[in-house]
Amino acid sequence: MKLNQLILTAAVGAQFVFPALAADGTATNSTEAAEIEALRQQVQALDQKVQSLEQQREAEPPAVADTNQEQIHELDQKVRILARQHELDQEDAAAAAKTRPLVKLDASGFTLSSADTNFVISLHGLIQLDSRTFFNDHNLVNSGFLLRRARPIITGTVFHDFDFNFTPDFGGSTVQILDAYLNYRYNPELQLEAGKFKSPVGLEALQSDAYGFFNERSLVTDLVPNRDLGVELHGDLFGGAASYAAGLFGGVSDYNGTTVNTDSDNDKAFAGRIFLQPWKTTDVGALKGLGLGVGGSYESDRNAAAGLTPGYTTDGQQKFFTYSAGVIANGQHWRISPQGYYYYGPLGILGEYVISDQEVSRTTAPLGSADLRNKAWEVSASWVLTGEDATYTGVTPRHPFNLHTGGWGAWQVVGRYEELNVDNNAFSAALPFAASTTSASSAHAWSAGLNWYLNRNVRLNASFSHTLFSGYAGATPAVPAQAENVVFTRIQLAF
Amino acid sequence: MWFLPEYNWHFNCLKLEIQKLMKPFLILLLASALAAVAGAKEIKLLNVSYDPTRELYQEYNAAFAKYWKAKTGDDVTISQSHGGSGKQAQSVINGLEADVVTLALAYDIDAIARQAKLLPVDWQKRLPDNSTPYTSTIVFLVRKGNPKHIKDWDDVVKPGVTVVVPNPKTSGGARWAYLAAYAYALETYGHDDARAKDFVTRLYKNVPILDSGARGSTITFAQRGIGDVLLAWENEAHLALKEFGADQFEIVTPPLSILAEPPVAVVDKTAKRHGTTDVARAYLEYLYSDEGQEIAARNFYRPRNPAVAEKYAANFARLKLVTVEQEFGGWQKAQQTHFADGGIFDQIYQP
Repeated sequence: MKLNQLILTAAVGAQFVFPALAADGTATNSTEAAEIEALRQQVQALDQKVQSLEQQREAEPPAVADTNQEQIHELDQKVRILARQHELDQEDAAAAAKTRPLVKLDASGFTLSSADTNFVISLHGLIQLDSRTFFNDHNLVNSGFLLRRARPIITGTVFHDFDFNFTPDFGGSTVQILDAYLNYRYNPELQLEAGKFKSPVGLEALQSDAYGFFNERSLVTDLVPNRDLGVELHGDLFGGAASYAAGLFGGVSDYNGTTVNTDSDNDKAFAGRIFLQPWKTTDVGALKGLGLGVGGSYESDRNAAAGLTPGYTTDGQQKFFTYSAGVIANGQHWRISPQGYYYYGPLGILGEYVISDQEVSRTTAPLGSADLRNKAWEVSASWVLTGEDATYTGVTPRHPFNLHTGGWGAWQVVGRYEELNVDNNAFSAALPFAASTTSASSAHAWSAGLNWYLNRNVRLNASFSHTLFSGYAGATPAVPAQAENVVFTRIQLAF
Repeated sequence: MWFLPEYNWHFNCLKLEIQKLMKPFLILLLASALAAVAGAKEIKLLNVSYDPTRELYQEYNAAFAKYWKAKTGDDVTISQSHGGSGKQAQSVINGLEADVVTLALAYDIDAIARQAKLLPVDWQKRLPDNSTPYTSTIVFLVRKGNPKHIKDWDDVVKPGVTVVVPNPKTSGGARWAYLAAYAYALETYGHDDARAKDFVTRLYKNVPILDSGARGSTITFAQRGIGDVLLAWENEAHLALKEFGADQFEIVTPPLSILAEPPVAVVDKTAKRHGTTDVARAYLEYLYSDEGQEIAARNFYRPRNPAVAEKYAANFARLKLVTVEQEFGGWQKAQQTHFADGGIFDQIYQP
């Protein structure tokens, strides 16, 4: 602005000064007039230049502003596009992640799953290293170590609805296939299972081997069937408040630790179980863990030696009862097992009563038959000292064992009382099916122990069991001749 | 075998014993099993649809459930799944258990019929109007004041105009938009394919980003503030105005566009397996009812019913609408020529 004002002032001043000079002069000549004219032209030229500059200046700033505005808009769009592209890339990545197989390795084992979980395969395992130390047994039984269970467990699902389980066992002295089954799951309420699996009768027998209170199951399990070949309809109703199972099986004797993969006779067994947990889905905390049920089985054996138990065993896995040679299963064999448990906070109680009623015959003189009704019951209880919840499926430590952080896992005390009574007619003098010189007619035992759950996978057990026998009249020392006193320990890895 | 005739005597005995001991038990078990089966019969439908139909089917599902309850006494719950039409079709082919599909274009349902064989290939003959109970078209959604002066397809391909449109590989709406532009070029340049190809090449040079579905593109344009024009379903453009306000956007209807016919079909095999065939069929048929057509019109889909169309005529601009059959010889040919791998779209679009 100052430059413009100066030029204008000079131009305007010139307009007045030069005519005045001309008027005061007495003489003008052509040279002066020419100079004046030249100056006038210069002023005019300057004036035009100023005007031109003014116009140019007026025109230029908006153009520059528009250009800047446009550039800012373009940059803004580019930034927005990049941001949106990044957003879409993230969405694509998230969508792609949904189609990628899932791999999981944690305390529950190793699991590989398709993205839609229609196909799943899991690897689990159970290893139990036990020790049994017998006292006051006149060296009848060897104390020692035992690899009680060593099982790789493969479970999974194919086509969303078909579950499978394959569990061999390398523990003990026999390698065997324990579970091998396929389960079709229409929905939780209606499922069909076929293959080799646990017969749905005994509560304690159905509990996973990793979760029992003690190293060994109680005497009631002597009277229920173990794993069997068959087909079973089962399901959980009302969110698990009720469950049922009913199946047709090959039929097996009272509990036999050694299972088979073939059905050895033409006789089949029906087995079923109903178990109710009426408050499971309610808010009644004190009753949520109450479960009551009944299991049972029925079959008719004909001349089947295989239908008879190989023997009833103690907590220390010593046989205290066996049928005499030449005795066979021959007729109806039915079992019934009222059962229940109660878990509330750290408290856990489990009880079961079993009747195993079996018609037997002698194939040697004196010939004859009898209907023998053997009975057993048990009640066991536990208390988790560290306050965690006791459940049918084990204890999860709140603070897993860790010397660096001070976690000590969960500690649980356990106790049990159990009885098994063989029908007195088995020892009938006129028609004996068992010999009192080799078998006891009953056993009753109590046990106490302490379990240490270092974490979800590792558990240590220590317990003592004392078993008394009656009805044994043998002259030579044998297992039932004196009480069985045994200390158990266990190191268990389960995942 | 244990069931051979020589053992019949044994099983007669067995039956008697079972009757005595196990009958109450088995009855209870059977009752439990039946209860389980009965409990599983709750009527549920899955409608797998394309991107912009969320609002339409939310309203329609409620109306149909009410209608079905009054008619049969049964409760029906309809779940919805939305995404780019092509992607949705592929999901059904891959196992997504749709009872019905309501997709953006017939080709996608054809793909389900041909590849997964879940419904017959002549599915389109089963309902009126080629199984398309409503139609739509492609319009322009521009920013308020239309600063780039976009009035017709020629304006969309001008340099400096940023266009937002989804990916024709995954979106039905995008395929309709592409074909609308191509049809305009054919009509304008005397059906010269080379010039039409050049036209869509210039169009997609103006597209900086491709969403997988129409709703994604609406978000890109309206929420993320990208672009000068959105090539949108007519109903989606109206919805954007409704949702974001008429003070932000304007709808520009070009003089020529394409008649978009989004079809519907029962997925026979899935519905049969679910036991939902009857209700699925009724669900689609009810779209043709007065109430169904009213709901479609309220959601800015052009109804087939003339009376309803007349009632809502003010909502729909008049324009020349060409069809895929007229301009491109049907969807199968259009798909192969333009959208299949190596087709014209692959040739002209370089991300």
